[in-house]
Amino acid sequence: MIVTRKALSRRTVLRGAGAVLALPLLDSMVPAFGEARALAAATPRRLGAIYVPNGIWMARWTPAVTGTAYELPSTLKPLSAHRAQTSVFTGLSTAGLPKNSGVHASASTKFLTSANPRNTQGSAVEAGISMDQLAAREFGQATQLASLELGLESAEAGTCDIGFSCAYTNTVAWRGAKTPLPMENNPRAVFGRLFGATGSTSQAARLERIQNERSILDSVTEKIGRLSRTLGPSDRTKLAEYTDAISDVERRIQRAEEQSARELPTLVQPAGIPSTFEEHAKLMFDLQVLAYQADLTRVVTFMIGREFSGRAYPEVGAPDAHHPTSHHENDPVKLERLSRINTFHVSLFAYFVDRLGATQEGDGTLLDHVMLLYGSGMSDGNAHSHSNLPIVVVGGGTGQLPVARHLQYPDETPLANLHVALLDKLGVRTDVFGNSTGSLAGV
Amino acid sequence: MPPPQAKQPDSDAAQAFVGYLEASLDRAAAANPDAGRVPPHRMNRTEYVNAIRDLLSLEVDARSLLAVDDSDRGFDNIAGVLSVSPVLLDQYLNAALVISRAAVGDPGAPPGSASQTYSVSKGLYQDDRAGEDVPFGSRGGLSVRHHFPLDGAYVCKIRLRRTMYGYIRAFDEPSDLELRVDGALVARLQVGGAQRGPAPPVTFAGNIAGDPEWEDYMLRGDSALDVRVPIRAGTRTVSVSFVRRIGEPEGILQPDLPPFGYAVNEAVSSPRGNSGPAVDSLAVLGPEGASGTGDTPSRRRIFICQPASAQQENGCARRILMNLATQAFRRPATPDDEQTLMAFYRAGASRGGFEAGVRAGLERLLADPEFVFRIERDRAEPARSHRLTDLELASRLSFFLWSSIPDQELRNLAATGRLRTPGTLDAQVRRMLADVRSDTLVDSFAAQWFSLRQLRSVLPDPDSFPDFDENLRDALEQETRLFISSQLRDDHSVADLLTANYTFVNERLARHYGIPNVYGSHFRRVTLDAEARHGLLGQGSLLTVTAYPNRTSPVLRGRWLLENVLGTPPPPPPANVPALKEQGENGRPASIRERMEQHRRNPVCASCHVRMDPLGFALENFDATGRWRVTGDGGTRIDANASFPDGTTFNGVEGLRAFLVSRREDLVRTAIEKMLTYALGRGLESYDMPTVRAITRDVAARNDRWSAIVLAVVKSVPFQMRRSE
Repeated sequence: MIVTRKALSRRTVLRGAGAVLALPLLDSMVPAFGEARALAAATPRRLGAIYVPNGIWMARWTPAVTGTAYELPSTLKPLSAHRAQTSVFTGLSTAGLPKNSGVHASASTKFLTSANPRNTQGSAVEAGISMDQLAAREFGQATQLASLELGLESAEAGTCDIGFSCAYTNTVAWRGAKTPLPMENNPRAVFGRLFGATGSTSQAARLERIQNERSILDSVTEKIGRLSRTLGPSDRTKLAEYTDAISDVERRIQRAEEQSARELPTLVQPAGIPSTFEEHAKLMFDLQVLAYQADLTRVVTFMIGREFSGRAYPEVGAPDAHHPTSHHENDPVKLERLSRINTFHVSLFAYFVDRLGATQEGDGTLLDHVMLLYGSGMSDGNAHSHSNLPIVVVGGGTGQLPVARHLQYPDETPLANLHVALLDKLGVRTDVFGNSTGSLAGV
Repeated sequence: MPPPQAKQPDSDAAQAFVGYLEASLDRAAAANPDAGRVPPHRMNRTEYVNAIRDLLSLEVDARSLLAVDDSDRGFDNIAGVLSVSPVLLDQYLNAALVISRAAVGDPGAPPGSASQTYSVSKGLYQDDRAGEDVPFGSRGGLSVRHHFPLDGAYVCKIRLRRTMYGYIRAFDEPSDLELRVDGALVARLQVGGAQRGPAPPVTFAGNIAGDPEWEDYMLRGDSALDVRVPIRAGTRTVSVSFVRRIGEPEGILQPDLPPFGYAVNEAVSSPRGNSGPAVDSLAVLGPEGASGTGDTPSRRRIFICQPASAQQENGCARRILMNLATQAFRRPATPDDEQTLMAFYRAGASRGGFEAGVRAGLERLLADPEFVFRIERDRAEPARSHRLTDLELASRLSFFLWSSIPDQELRNLAATGRLRTPGTLDAQVRRMLADVRSDTLVDSFAAQWFSLRQLRSVLPDPDSFPDFDENLRDALEQETRLFISSQLRDDHSVADLLTANYTFVNERLARHYGIPNVYGSHFRRVTLDAEARHGLLGQGSLLTVTAYPNRTSPVLRGRWLLENVLGTPPPPPPANVPALKEQGENGRPASIRERMEQHRRNPVCASCHVRMDPLGFALENFDATGRWRVTGDGGTRIDANASFPDGTTFNGVEGLRAFLVSRREDLVRTAIEKMLTYALGRGLESYDMPTVRAITRDVAARNDRWSAIVLAVVKSVPFQMRRSE
């Protein structure tokens, strides 16, 4: 990417990044004494799901002891600052579903759906609705966007698992059994979805846009009134559609105006995809923070890499492509490189967690009001193992998550049981999900 | 008609009765015409974009601004279903902002505000010239129309295609890459061939890494392909392509690989032919250090005056906005318009000066219901039909023939009441048909009639049709576009759509059709030796969209012909129809024909399928992508015989074609019904049938030529008149 003016680089656009961020609206609404309980009730519940491809070297992921006194192993070390809100889950699996020849395609597909991908290279793809989308269905009414699906690799790049449509490896989010949701990887487009044509998150810019849209709509409403008087009844009905749409849009503007009172760090619409992986990842995480902060959505699904990804990470000393590196054959050099990739990914995730933790909301931080599920659809990539998956859950879950622990479950406990439990904590009642056998105990 | 068991009238008697009925109805219609009524007509996406082009000399990308429109009766310009949803209104507001900024130019726009990334589809082989906008002697790449809002520097960032393992494809040998703006060479870059160290063993590529230096180069060697170019404001063609190397590859020729095997096997080597390096995306980023709004066609069109002093600003803004309103509202601007638009001008000007004011006025104009809707007024007593005003008629003409707003000539004729003076209407229709804007008759009218738009979304099963690539899809679409365009422009008769002995092909399509001696990606007209390929029935676009992803469907093809050629659509199938058995009684896969026999045995199915299936059977020699074949599933010989219950039989596509052409009246009537539906933007009703019959009779004298049909539609009662409510 070209750093034109400073405005284009992530670091320089985020004026005041790292500094304490402004207090959101909720604070100003709460009377001086602040009724914490009422506030907690009004605080949104949120879900984030973050996927990493090609498995993890589990020896450096799994904590040595279970319970609350566990220590973060080296791969998870970047999360140290948030150890108190980090739970590690061991023993969860998607291998209980019938074995499927698409080892990579099914790894990503099963991660949030607990459903196998249908074996096709064509367009008749099929799996199951994903748990993030079950949450989005529930929360979507309250926000501008039901959910955001983001990634770091273009859907066009790279090829896909043998015999399986690229849709399976390109996404983990499924709106329905036949509707995979594409992952947007261009921060510019994401920004556009969040903030429309404003071009900036600055309060002044947003308010100016709101005022402008309002005056256009007022003027158009008036004009329709004048026009309608010259029309017959059925033609008037047609124009009434326009008027109805206007009142709907006015409600949207009203909501935007309320949200605009929440001050946001000023971010100018990014020009495109930043030139380094790290900058790209951090910018996408920044946008997720903004989306939560402005309450534009409460559900975000993010793929740090598409499953089967062949991205190389020379910046952390892993110069070979990720997928061949994951076929480590227990070669110590490859294992070391794989571990570096794993740790690098977790450190980027930790950046996100830090940002959420530094953003005040009501009586706490955004991190207190979110549930973040981080993991991969494989454990050992060398063996394409779908058992004993690497899973962590981070965040306060708006008071719904218990004290952080390392939880060890019997081998082959369905990952779907965790989904049922997390959805329950989000207030989304799901009795059966995929191959679940109940709600995971201890969550 | 009497029940099937009863005695039937002979065909002469039946025809005489129908003739008597029709003649009586036609007389009644002539004495008391019912023109029908079109509700307020929202512009669809195509019309919106064309209107912006004609109003502001600005090209905008429809897909990024507006949602797809609903269709009815096969067309997406049917007033009754073109509704306004909150989502669409949001999009209109956003489009008004984006377009007014782009057209006027916004010197305060932030750097990078015009950035956009264009990708090349993965299924597209980049083995030949990528289109008419890249140089001869080039290979692969892409060309895009990009709007540069300001004079300034822009960065073109080129990224190359990766293999499934993330290596840059064929990057181990050097090639030359060119970047051009409006055809002029901006940069020539040498890419590839500078790797060092050993590569991974080919068969283990992806599982075993090569030398670190080799890996680094092959994985990210294209990261410096960024070219910074000063570019003047305006919409320009930016293209990226490889310089083609002349020469034949040595060694044993390898068969073409399907996209998947292609990516796997071609991880490392062979830089020539279709396995050479390829462009993945082009990002245009900027502007940086913008120096001004420049001199764009949009600005020339908008700023018909420039204020010499602050005192002149209001007057000039008024002139500009009234001029735009007259065009956008398709009627002379009124004092009301002036009041509204100038209020927005003043608000904008107070914030950012004269140009910002014009921009604000334009933004408001584009959100106006009178721009977005075509509204016709009732002028007669209830339930009576009256003639449209000249201004209303001018809009109908331009939206019919151009999918856009009237131009100045049309507007002036209408405003002065001369549009209907003898000879004028004919002359205007001919002028409009000759204008390039009438290409929308191909891209909107014919493309929807012939289901061409669906070609974008079909995905033939890669297991059954491994060689269906994006190049073929593009070629199939282009063939039919060029063919229909030539039929309309050369003013053929309707039946020539089915019988023409020529088509347009490039090398890729010629290979698909088995036509020898056609080389290169350029399309050319060829005379067809094989009669099977004559006309639309031999064109792969139609044959592909009427097939399933993995096999042909005589039902889909038959239904398509009944609906779109013979104009006698079958009713939808009854509910709860069980699926056809895929296997015959001997346990072997049933042939398509065997499966279809099940339709005939069930009387509920048979009532329609005896009419549909035979038409489709006659096309069985074309597979699901339109390739000619003589054997079907399991090696059985294709049986393309068709027989109807009334004893009519024919064989193959030639027989089908002769059969369809013998039904001249159905053929021409269908064409007229389709065109009238599209021209009016409403479905046809019983009271329109006298018009359809009259046109069908009248155009026979002019050999059923397209110009005759267009003129007859324009002069028809439903086009010229409107019923009051």
